[in-house]
Amino acid sequence: MKVRVLFFGATAEAVGKREIEFSLAENTNASEARTEILEAFPNLKKYFGKSLLFAINQEYASGDEIINNGDELAIFTAVSGG
Amino acid sequence: MSDEEIQNPKSKIQNPGDFFELTNEPIDVGKVARRIVPSESGATVTLDGYVRQWTKGKETLYLIYEAYEPMALKEMGRLIETAHARFEIAHVGIVHRLGKLEIGETSVVISVSAPHRKAAFEACGWLIKELKRTVPIWKKEVYAGGEVWIEGENHGANVN
Repeated sequence: MKVRVLFFGATAEAVGKREIEFSLAENTNASEARTEILEAFPNLKKYFGKSLLFAINQEYASGDEIINNGDELAIFTAVSGG
Repeated sequence: MSDEEIQNPKSKIQNPGDFFELTNEPIDVGKVARRIVPSESGATVTLDGYVRQWTKGKETLYLIYEAYEPMALKEMGRLIETAHARFEIAHVGIVHRLGKLEIGETSVVISVSAPHRKAAFEACGWLIKELKRTVPIWKKEVYAGGEVWIEGENHGANVN
């Protein structure tokens, strides 16, 4: 199945893109998807590693959420608005 | 901000009288505060957050703010709902600026009206603390010798 993955700020600069299409196996959960995306983009792993936050369809993910075809994923660093 | 922009916010209002928006235009702080004054209120507390020039001896030239806009609006709306549950307040207005901001320009305004000032102070303090922790907005600081995306506090509940 296919999902969209969005990057913002520091992660967008590390990847060199703001949005990609990514393939995942059926029934992949948030934790597994995060690992696969970090494997695909070594800069993310190298620069940010475990500090990255992960969202599915504009909601923070905790790890065991099942991802569906067409979902909007996002990977970003700890937020710094204000 | 013009009246036209105020009447056409990028967000849906959940509690009548509350509002939360993202804008690329300069923020009129007084206008935000005056939008949340119902007759049962006695005080409005407003935070005007703006761009700091000096941080620990280092000079900032300007800032760039970027947001995951739909998620940022969802999180802002959620914060306002939680604030209503936690504090005896009347209304909340939050406007966060995006794009390039010069020194001294307002980046975020949070106004809270309440029957009594104590709850308004507490709610305003809580809202900015939570906004900085959970709302997906990032700032890049640009210095004379370089630039860096600032990383905030880590959000507690996320994938490991």
